[in-house]
Amino acid sequence: MRVRWDAVVGCSAMDVLSPRADGVVTGPAEGHTQVRVRLFGALAARSTRPEVRLEIDASATLGHLLAMAGECFGDWLLDHVLDECGRKRRHCRIFVGGHPIEDLQTPLCVTADPSEVEIILLIAPEGG
Amino acid sequence: MNLFSPRLFESPAHDDAWIPSSCSLCYGTCSILAHRVDGTIVKIEGNPDSAVGKGRLCGKGVSGIMTHYDPNRLRYPMRRTNPKKGLYEDPGWKRISWEEALDEIATVLRKVRADDPRKLVVQRTTTVTASRVPFHAFATAFGTPNFSVSGGGQHCGNGAHLISGIMHASWSIVPDFEYCNYAIFFGASKGHSAGHASCSNMAKAADARVRGMKMVVVDPLCNFAAAKASEWVPVRVGTDAAIALAMCNVLVNELGIYDGPYLQAKTNAPYLVGPDKLYVRDGQSKKPLVWDTRNGAARPYDEVPAADSAIEGEFNVGEVTCRPAFECLRRHLQGFTPAWAEKISGVSAATVRRLAKEFGTEARIGSAIVIDGTALPYRPVAAIAFRGSQGHRNSVYNFFAIDLLNHLVGAADVVGGCLGFNPTCHGHPETGMVRYAPTAGPDGLMVVGNWMGYHYPYPPAEPRLPTNLGLQDLFVIGMTSPFLDSTDREALWDKFDLPYRPEVMINFGANLVMSIANKDAVAASLAKYKFIVSFDLFLTETSNFVDIILPDCDYLQSLDSRSNFPFIFSLPAGPGEWCWPIRQPVVPAEGEQRQFADVLLDIADRIGIRADLNAAYNAWLDLRPPYRLVGDRPYSYQDICDAELKNNFGPEHGLEWFKQHGVIKWPKKPDEVYWRPFVDVRVPIYWEFLKPIGEKIAGIAEPRGLKIPLEYYDPLPAFLPCRAHCCDKQGFDFYGFYYRDVVHTNSFTMENPWLDEAARLDPFSYAIAMNRSEAGKRGFVDGQLVWVENENGRKVKGRLKLTEGIHPEGLGFAAMCGHWTDGQPIAKGKGVFYNDLLELDWEHASPVNINLDLCVKVRVSAAEGTS
Repeated sequence: MRVRWDAVVGCSAMDVLSPRADGVVTGPAEGHTQVRVRLFGALAARSTRPEVRLEIDASATLGHLLAMAGECFGDWLLDHVLDECGRKRRHCRIFVGGHPIEDLQTPLCVTADPSEVEIILLIAPEGG
Repeated sequence: MNLFSPRLFESPAHDDAWIPSSCSLCYGTCSILAHRVDGTIVKIEGNPDSAVGKGRLCGKGVSGIMTHYDPNRLRYPMRRTNPKKGLYEDPGWKRISWEEALDEIATVLRKVRADDPRKLVVQRTTTVTASRVPFHAFATAFGTPNFSVSGGGQHCGNGAHLISGIMHASWSIVPDFEYCNYAIFFGASKGHSAGHASCSNMAKAADARVRGMKMVVVDPLCNFAAAKASEWVPVRVGTDAAIALAMCNVLVNELGIYDGPYLQAKTNAPYLVGPDKLYVRDGQSKKPLVWDTRNGAARPYDEVPAADSAIEGEFNVGEVTCRPAFECLRRHLQGFTPAWAEKISGVSAATVRRLAKEFGTEARIGSAIVIDGTALPYRPVAAIAFRGSQGHRNSVYNFFAIDLLNHLVGAADVVGGCLGFNPTCHGHPETGMVRYAPTAGPDGLMVVGNWMGYHYPYPPAEPRLPTNLGLQDLFVIGMTSPFLDSTDREALWDKFDLPYRPEVMINFGANLVMSIANKDAVAASLAKYKFIVSFDLFLTETSNFVDIILPDCDYLQSLDSRSNFPFIFSLPAGPGEWCWPIRQPVVPAEGEQRQFADVLLDIADRIGIRADLNAAYNAWLDLRPPYRLVGDRPYSYQDICDAELKNNFGPEHGLEWFKQHGVIKWPKKPDEVYWRPFVDVRVPIYWEFLKPIGEKIAGIAEPRGLKIPLEYYDPLPAFLPCRAHCCDKQGFDFYGFYYRDVVHTNSFTMENPWLDEAARLDPFSYAIAMNRSEAGKRGFVDGQLVWVENENGRKVKGRLKLTEGIHPEGLGFAAMCGHWTDGQPIAKGKGVFYNDLLELDWEHASPVNINLDLCVKVRVSAAEGTS
């Protein structure tokens, strides 16, 4: 009996790799919507104001929102949140309506509550 | 042993209860049952309901009562009155109220946060695993990236955990004790000492020995693991890589034993490498190319069936002559002959060959086994490494070379092989929470599904001009840093124009003066802090630099919702159960003791960052609606624990449920335990990413005067000597090293009178082990008082214990003893403070993962005094 290493056997393990669907719904993608962007921790300490309200197109992605937030707060925000290739830094967590979103291409309209966006930088190094 | 089911039982007449909770005498965090009678803890045992320990408890765990009831425990806050800080300066402690203490702390922190929050350093001991999230959350909320896990983290973190993460998606590795037939331990003692999942592993290892597993221990010292091994191979300190590389060479080039299909499908072995040592990439997609043997062309790695990917040979892609990474490795290994390894390590060429042949033969490449109806690859061999072999300047290559043995024969996270601790979890069957799995990252290489922080082992972040005190944002392969306290820290910070300096420290339980390296270096660093607040159980040597001491609750008085998570840290690997225990108070606080987590919430409220702290807890605990913490609501730590438990296990499994039951568990599936065939990821047997990382780091560091030795950044492992190996000073003819003592944890447990008594009954615990023959040549006798001196003149004194069970050139020191503080009268004066021999600077750190070199060349001379 041989088991090929390259046989990725279809089983429940594959479900583990699928992102959880929590907080992701299909919503209308028309018009504009108001979003409160709130900074926490190091980002809040750096900024003169911890939050801003933005009006964005309902079909906008999280990446679009971040770009607008960068214009409001300053370029320093994007330096902290995005890496040199424009990807979200791993230790930066973004929550839309209380649910974590990793993909900046995610349209805000598909989230359960696109009106609240939280951005926070977590500690990177650890050990032990 | 309690014969009854572990349920709370309270008689109306008097209090008599067994409380399920978690130990904290070491980071193994085994599950316990604490027996309380009329308000007094009378016994502590293992909890048979839990997979963490499986009802067993080591000598440290059962001794926890004595730490708890130690009359030297701190009971109220104190403030120093002597402004002068020094190793032997009396702080002039004055008792103050909590209100005074927190008011002053808040005032200091408010000022620092307004000025630059990065000036705060948060430091914790690794012993209390559950302290991670509260302190991470606080540091996150405050806005500082400067976090330390003291010596405990520095001494094992950067090698063992980094490479276990890259190659096994886990924090550490262990043999699959259920099925392994042949395990080689390089400077490791999993299942025979303390450490991750210690009690569970001890049971598994014992059962494996009864089953007939052969265990070979490669170590300078024959002690906890080697004493139970089939074979002990004495090795020169810090030379494990030489043996492992030679074994790899024998396997691949002499015996032709390697698992081709595994290498094709699960590693970057087929990736084509050019003369510049980098992948040859597709012009458009930039994906690494492999040679498609069926079509005779180079194509992106994910477009060619694994079986058709060449791993040997030489090919032309355009005008570039290139070889598969495995071919590069195969040729690279040719230089590491057993004869060469013998010169480096002292282990005979014949032994190296024999070990390689035994390992390769027993790997049974190509075989399979059925577990619970699932067919799985079967490779019943494992090469294990941990702190001993990776605690060197050549940390990365030492560990990498050893783990390469597993990957060459396909014995990685399969039945019988080398297992990471739980890299894949399908989640709780009802809620689906706490699920994670490795995924394919850049170039198809594995990214961990779960980690202890966000400085992932792979892919490494892009190096940049550092803004962290530890320089980890430059040395991106490293995690914990020696540079917060090194003697050259100011020089390094100046080189990199760091725009701030540390001013304030919050310390939790770490005794930095003893735990990382020589006390003078650390003292100089701590003395420069303007303000240090420390949560402690006892006064320690580090307390002499603290401004305000806060009396902490110990584990028998504390609540934690995740005493043992994440699962990659200390849940037993291998088949069995997923198990989530909590920690809950068995007895109340005494005096004015308060649990650190509650105090941090209090401080956050006082400095006005409660909303940030709530947001940080949401992020760290992955809290989802409706359990997310809202706004700046003043949740108690109990509320937060309840939220986490319900978030993960449903509304019916909150804190009250866990207080009754202690643990929640569910069975593991074979494809969770032996996940490697089921997850489409590869691991690097050729670390191509290391070369450009090294060049970028050099590009930043060298114009600023810091030379980066790029031989440490080569994609293939080699043996690079430690400073100790290069010392040729007359008379310095021993390699000093320390090892974990099974009786003690770091510098913490020497104060425990039961453990102290056990240590005094053991001839090695407080002594310096020297080879009997070598001692005889030098006129040393058993019990003799000696000086041990490093080449820079640092000296420690201790008594010899002569033994045949140590390499002739080795000098072994147990644990982290040698306390001198009056705050721990039982610990005071016992054992030898080995770390005082260690230098703490760039020259003694790995230039790639900033691990500290823990071996030292020493001279031994007779000391005056009673022998």
